[in-house]
This record gives sequence, structure tokens and C-alpha cells, in this order.
Amino acid sequence: MITRDAATPASGQLSVGEMLLAHGIGRRGFIKFCTAAASAMALPPWMGAAMAEQLRNAARPSVVYLSFQECTGCFESFTRSFAPTIENLIFNVISLDYDDTLMAAAGDAAEAALASAMRDHFGNYVVVVDGSIPTGAGGAYCTAGGRSAVDTLREAAKGASAIICVGTCSSFGGIPFADPNPTGAWPVTAIVGGVPIINVSGCPPIPEVITGTLLQLVSTGQIPDLDEHRRPKAFFGNTIHDRCYRRPFFDAGKFAKTFDDEGARNGWCLYELGCKGPTTFNACATLKWNGGTSFPIESGHGCLGCSEPGFWDKGSFYSAESTPQWGKAGEATPKQVVELAGITAGVGAVLGTASAGVSRLRQASRQKAAEHEHQGDE
Amino acid sequence: MSDVAVEGLPAQARVAGAMQGFSREIGALSAFRLESCIHCGICADACHYYVATEDPQYTPIWKVEPFKQAYKREASAFAPLFRLFGFKRAVSAEQLEHWQHLLFDSCNLCGRCSLICPMGIDVAALIEQARHAMFDAGLAPKELYDKAAHQRATGQPEASAEPYRDQLIAIGVRFDVRIPLDESDVDVMLCIPRTDIDHYPGAVAALARVMSHLGVSCTFRSDGLIAENYGYYAGGREWQRDISLRLIDTAIACKAKTLIVPECGHAYAALRWEAADLYGKPLPFKVLAVTEFLAQELGAGRLRLGNATTGPTTFQDPCQLSRTGGVTEAPRALMKAMGVDLQEMRNNGSFSYCCGGGGGVVDIERAAPLRYRTMEIKLREIDDTGANTFLTTCSDCRRTFDDAQRHFSWDKSPESLLELVAKNLIDAGAGR
Amino acid sequence: MDLLSFARGPALKVALAVFCAGVVWRIAAFALLRIRRDLNRPRNSLFKYLGAGLYTIGTRSWPHPEFIRRTGAGEALGYSYHMGLFVVVLLFAPHIAFLGSLFGITWPGLPNSVITVIAVISLTLFLAVLFRRVTSPVIRMLSNFDDYFSWFITMLVMVTGLAATAQIGARYSTLVAVHILSVDVLLLWFPFGKLMHAFYIFPSRAINGAILARKGAAS
Repeated sequence: MITRDAATPASGQLSVGEMLLAHGIGRRGFIKFCTAAASAMALPPWMGAAMAEQLRNAARPSVVYLSFQECTGCFESFTRSFAPTIENLIFNVISLDYDDTLMAAAGDAAEAALASAMRDHFGNYVVVVDGSIPTGAGGAYCTAGGRSAVDTLREAAKGASAIICVGTCSSFGGIPFADPNPTGAWPVTAIVGGVPIINVSGCPPIPEVITGTLLQLVSTGQIPDLDEHRRPKAFFGNTIHDRCYRRPFFDAGKFAKTFDDEGARNGWCLYELGCKGPTTFNACATLKWNGGTSFPIESGHGCLGCSEPGFWDKGSFYSAESTPQWGKAGEATPKQVVELAGITAGVGAVLGTASAGVSRLRQASRQKAAEHEHQGDE
Repeated sequence: MSDVAVEGLPAQARVAGAMQGFSREIGALSAFRLESCIHCGICADACHYYVATEDPQYTPIWKVEPFKQAYKREASAFAPLFRLFGFKRAVSAEQLEHWQHLLFDSCNLCGRCSLICPMGIDVAALIEQARHAMFDAGLAPKELYDKAAHQRATGQPEASAEPYRDQLIAIGVRFDVRIPLDESDVDVMLCIPRTDIDHYPGAVAALARVMSHLGVSCTFRSDGLIAENYGYYAGGREWQRDISLRLIDTAIACKAKTLIVPECGHAYAALRWEAADLYGKPLPFKVLAVTEFLAQELGAGRLRLGNATTGPTTFQDPCQLSRTGGVTEAPRALMKAMGVDLQEMRNNGSFSYCCGGGGGVVDIERAAPLRYRTMEIKLREIDDTGANTFLTTCSDCRRTFDDAQRHFSWDKSPESLLELVAKNLIDAGAGR
Repeated sequence: MDLLSFARGPALKVALAVFCAGVVWRIAAFALLRIRRDLNRPRNSLFKYLGAGLYTIGTRSWPHPEFIRRTGAGEALGYSYHMGLFVVVLLFAPHIAFLGSLFGITWPGLPNSVITVIAVISLTLFLAVLFRRVTSPVIRMLSNFDDYFSWFITMLVMVTGLAATAQIGARYSTLVAVHILSVDVLLLWFPFGKLMHAFYIFPSRAINGAILARKGAAS
């Protein structure tokens, strides 16, 4: 948990409020910004004012952004946040002290920035992790400045007030973690402990979910309510299916059977086309993407379930949720089913024949015993 | 099979005997029947013993419970598991002794339960098989066992004061009808229930009269006379075969093409539907119930019948003839030809309730109180028809009803359909 | 591997394997016992009595008029929850997707609201069936572990299915996983208990019906 002290500006530092004033943003404008952010996080409206008050008096907290085994898709998503916008966030709300993608510095200077942030704000900085952490080959699959990701993370975690895992890779291992996991990749939770970890999963996560979580953390100083996968309930409390505008078609039993049939054109439910909405907890159906423009289901494709652990290993994206999935092979095909049934029925037939044979032998021996007895009598 | 005294068998030998009998008997068909039961209890509602008493132990399928248990342990697919884990206990001697009451005293093998089972199980067939195992366990009721033993040895279930041959001749004299006896090279061999000889000689005479009227070449044979088969009742499979063989061999010896079974339900069942299996090959002659034969003759125009003035009449379908034997239409065709005003009972034809005496029950003395209790259903149904006359075509039914008449001081007595036919014969030539 | 992947993955595979092997084993073990030829002359022709056997499959679905008064209500209860069960199993869209992927064919389903109503009715009837089993002296006497366990596991499938649809008690993915797991348990138990009657009922009616019709007896 972030301590309150952490949010108090050190002497000589400008508070967020002072800084905003210097940029010509008044108290009113800032409350508006915070209210928008609060509503994006499904927090009550008064939280906006409270957040604004808290933030105005707080020093911009130090944030270090660590990119490990990742594709930068999550970061791309992060940069497209509408409320709050990334520039607002990084210039006005937080002090982004290290981010190898955005920072002007490079090489030793960049690494020195990281080291100094961790030293100066020990115990108070927030670590954002993007990407899984490969442990194979002594961590050699992902290094920066000659240090492996796993070492960097372990060290950064020591003085962190909290860790936010952005994306499914850092949250649950993601694609690098998927079978056969050649790099020995792990999620953050498998590497470090003893520090609050918030998972903001998704491949990538919704921009506003990343910024909103970060904003809520630094503004309230509280770890938000988390689900069993450590995801903020404000964003991951419902399934996509529950909030999907196509849900009435599911309830009415109207399903698209292919991507170009009548049902698909009518916007019917994509369940049978493999939509993972029913088991996927995320805010896609409510916050949507690109500033609330659309989301995958709205554009005609089923949910891939990317914000759920192990989503890459759960079989075909195009087989319905309730279909059998046999291990790595994905969806069981009718052919496989027939093979399984055939082989096991064959085994059954052999056992059954043996059982019947044993019963017949028992019968024959009893018959013989009876005949023997019979002869003995006469 | 040893001729041990029924009581004298030690418990262990009993169980071993029962399991032996059961094991020898169990084939794919009976196993399938035992497998299929879903414990729905619906068969109870077909059984007059349950309907009359509402005592759950009379549920038909419960009567084979020890054998279901034995099947699961001994012969089913997972029998080794059942034995290993003791899911089903071994059948005990006490259990079998208790089940004697359920398998013999309270079952007429009437087959009504076989028509109600939603799984289609022929429950009565299972009970008959269970009786075989009970016999092998030395647990056949004494009355049935003794009669079966006597019949197997001598050809008749009980000693008679006079030989049956002489009694037959006497009946011929008394009723003024020629009794064809011990002839050879005939078309038809006749047999007769000893119940008829003892209690209903009119039926014997009627049979002879009808046959002679039709001019059928036929004979009774003193070496194969008695229709009943107490081996069948007692459950002694070998004994049943030996008793049937006496009739089969005689019929073959006198070159009969048809064996006519008179008014006796279980004799028909034993000869028509079981004898060939015990004989080991198809019988070289046809087996017909007398009503079946007469209905054929009627249909062929060789038998003509006058109007019988019986008033409102009801008809008791003997279970083994009608329900399990398929002779349901023949007696009705005969009654129709005689213009009988037939008032059917609420449950009639294949669904008729048993008289309560079949399956050897009428011979079991200790079963009488329960038998009277269950008979009330039947007597009420007969009374409800409003009929004055009451016909049947089975001497065991007649005997049971006559017994009930004495017990309940009932106002009706069953009459023989065969005798009614014999009384209303019209000369076939007369109409031409 | 999460619970859902386990339930519809390896657990389902093992359950199906045990189901197929067990069912064939159990049937073969008795079907291959001795079949004695009936040497008694039949009353009806082969064609006629086999036909009557097939006919019995239908006629035995409902009691003969003579029996209705005593058994009609009980049989109606039994058949109605079975029918409800079949409708839910066969016509609920996720089930169709499941079966479709197993067998490679699909068919139209019913709206969820209809399915839910039918499922709730079936569940109620299923409770009534248990009530009847424990209160009727006859059925209670006949009942054993098999009856109660088969009831329980079927009930479990129904309850977890309804809970998953209504999303009561836990998150959907967990409920679906538990539902599929309960189906796995049902498949595992199937060959060992009375659920086998699903395979027996029609052949049993047909065979016994044909044997009776061979004698010209009623079936």
C-alpha cells in the first residue's frame, strides 16, 4: 500500500496543483479532468473531486516503466488513452522517471535514470511492468544494459510501493508463456512477492483501463478492489458477455453460424463462432476502444478472451465456449471423437467378451458339478 | 437332482443349490431383463397381491431380488467388482427361505406385471426362473414338491382310489358318452386335468362328446393322461421335463398330429410354450387349447352351435391361456356363436386379474388366507358385471372359485365353456 | 490449466473413454451369454412378431388403459422430467455447440428463456421424483445406492447448468467448469449404474414385446 507520506511533496518540489496552475489549468478544470477519469473507472462522481483534492496537494509520484519480453502493443495502447490522456498523465500527474520507449536518454544515461529513481524514491515509486519475464538460459532472452529482466524486476520490486502489470504477458505470462514456452517466461507474480501487484490484463489492455488504474493508484494511494486474478474489479468485474449489446440475441437463441451468413449480417450472437465473451472479464463492452468507438464484437469478431489467464492455450478462437478441448490439439474434431469412441468401444468389447466368457465358464463348471451330483444320486 | 426331503437341506447347500440353478439358467435374455430394471416400482400396481394388501414386499420385481443380487455378483459385467468391494452381499439361506413366500405363495405367474413394466421386462418369466433356483435349493413348497415327485414317478400327482383309466370309463357310462381310450393311429391325442376327473367329470364328458360330434379321430391314453405339470409349479426343471415327456412320448407313440390340451391354463403353457425347449427339439405334433381347436372348427364351418340361454354372462380369462398364451379371441368366438350375452369384467382379456389360484398357489395350504384376500378384487369385478352366469375355461380357476364360494358364501359358481359348447352342439349336416 | 480447460479437456476425454468402454463392456458381458433358441412353434410369423416388438417400443411408453388409474400419474411424472431433460440437453444453444463439435452436425435450438423455464420445471419434477422415491414404500424398498447416486449426479448437472446460465454463486467460467465436470462425473458413472437404462429401454421393450407376440400374447 502506498503510504500517505509518499504523496506529500518533498521540499523544493512542486505539487501537482502548483504545476497545473503553472500550465494554466485551474482548480475547476482539474476537478473536471479527475471526474472524467473517475467515471471511466466506474467510481462514484464525488471521487473525482476527492481525487483532484488529493492530487493537487501531492507530489507527482515517481513511476518507472519496465519493458520486458513484450511487443510494445500494450504501450501503444497506453499512449492512446483519451481520459486521462497520456501527456496529461505523464506531464502533470506522474513523474515518469524511466521508460525505454519514451525517454530521450539512451544507453548508460537511461539506466542511470532508473537507478536514481529507485534510489531517490525507495519505498515510494510505482513500477509498471510490460511483458513477461523469461527465466530460461539464465534470463538471457531479455536483457537491457547487460542485466536480465528477472534481475531488473527483482531489484525494482524491492523499493516499489506497488507494481502494475500492464498486459496479459506481465499479468499471466501471455503469449511467451504459452505452450511450449521456449524462453521459460513467467508472469510478475511468479517472480516477486511482498509488494502489492495489480494486474491490468489484456492483449493489449484497454488504454483507459491502464491509465485509469494508474491514476486511481497514485491519486487515492489505495490499492483498488481486486478480483482473484488481482485485476481491478472496477474494470474486470463483469464478463464481456454480460455487458454485450448482442446479449439479447444469445438469450433469444439467435446465432451467427459463419462470419458471412444472415445471422452475422444481422448482428446476432457470435457464441457459436467461438466468442469467449461469456468467460472473459474485461470492460471492452462498456468502455470500448478508441475513445468509445467500438470493440471487437461490435466489428463482427468474437472475443478472444485475451484478458484471461492462459488464453492462448485454450484451443481455437473459433470453437464455441462449451466445446470439448482436448489438450494441446485444441478443439476435438468429430474424427478424433470417433477414433476415441472406436478404440474405447473396442476395449469395452474385449472386456465384455472376456466377462461373458468368464460367466459362461462359471456356468459350465456349475453345470458339470450339478451333473456330477446327479450321477452320484442314481 | 437329488430327491432330498424339502426340509432336510443344510443352509449352505441350499444357497449353493440356488446359485447353481440360477447360474445354469441365466442366459442373455434373463440377464437383459435383470439389467433393465430401473426400480420404478410400477409393476406393484399390476399385481393383485400388492393391490389387495398394499404390502410393498409383493412388488413383482422384488420377488426376484435375491436373484438380481446374485446376477450382479455372479454374472454381470462388473461382477468381480461387486464381489471385491461387497457392493452386493452374497445371497443368504435366510433370505431364500423368506423369499419362498414371495416366489410361491404370493405369485400366480399370471404375467400381469409383464404388461405394465415401462422397461418392457417380462417379470413373470424371471419369477419362473427364480422358482427353478428355489427348487434346486430345496425350497419348493412341500405340497408342490410332493405332488411333483409323485407325478414324476407315477404319472399322477396324487394316488387315486381307483385308477384314472377306470374313472374315465365310469364317466363315459355316467354321462352316456363314448370315451375313446388307448387307441393308436389317431389324429388327435387328448389329455385331461386330474382336477376335472376328480371334481368336474362333466368337462371330461363334454370334451369326449364334442370330439365325437366333430368326428375327430382321437383318443385318451392312460399312459399319458394327466395334463397338469407339478414340476412346472414346483420349479423343478428336470421334473417338468420328465412329466412333459410322458405326454410327448405317448402322443408320438399314437401317431397324433395334434395334442389337445383341455381347459387347463398352466398345462397349456407348459406344453405349448415350454415343452419343446425341454424336449430339445420342436415337437412333432401341434399343441392346441381345446377352445382354440373348437374356434378353428367353428371358423371352418365344421362346428355349428345353437343359442345358449345363459342370460347375462361374464367370462374369466385364464392367465396362461389368454394373457401369456394368446388364446383370448377363441373363447369369445365360441360364446358369440352361441349368442352368449357377454358382460366383460372391468379388467378382461389379457389384462384380466388372476383367479388367485394359478401357479400352484391353490395347492399351498398356508397361502390360503392371503389368497382369499386377493381374490376379493376378482369377485368384486365379477359381481360388478351384473352377470348371473360365469364361464371360464380352466379347471384350476374353477377349483379356486368354488373354494371361494365356500369361503365367502358367494352366490356364483364358474361353469365350463366347453360344457356349454357340448350342450349346444347342432348337427353340422342338419342345416344343409 | 484452469478448471474449465480441465473439465472440457482431459477430464472430458477420460470420461468419454470410460463411458464408451464401459457401456460396450456392460452390454457385451450379458449379450454374449448363451441365447437359447425357442423351439416351441410360434403362433405368429417372424415378420409379425418382430413388427409387434417394434410396436411395443411405442405402446409401452404409456400404460395400458387398465393400468392408468394406478400408474398414470407416476409415469407422467417420470416421462415429463425426461422430456424436459431432453429438450434442455438437445436444444440449448451451448449444448448444441458442444454436441455439434463432438459429432460434426448442428441443429436449431430454442431461446434461452424457454430453455430456462423448461429446466426449472424439470428440476422441480426431478425433486418430486426423489420425494416419491423416499415416500412410496414400494419404491423406497426397491431403491439402492445406484438409484440415489444416479439421481444426485443428474441433479448436480441440472443445478450447475442452471446456476451457470443464471450466473448464481460464482463467476460464469467457474460455474461452466463445474457444470462440465459434473457431466464428466455423470459419464464416468453412466456404465456402472442405472443410467444404462437409456440404452436398454427400447431394445428391452422390443425384445420382450416380440417374445410375447411370438406366442400371440398381449404386449
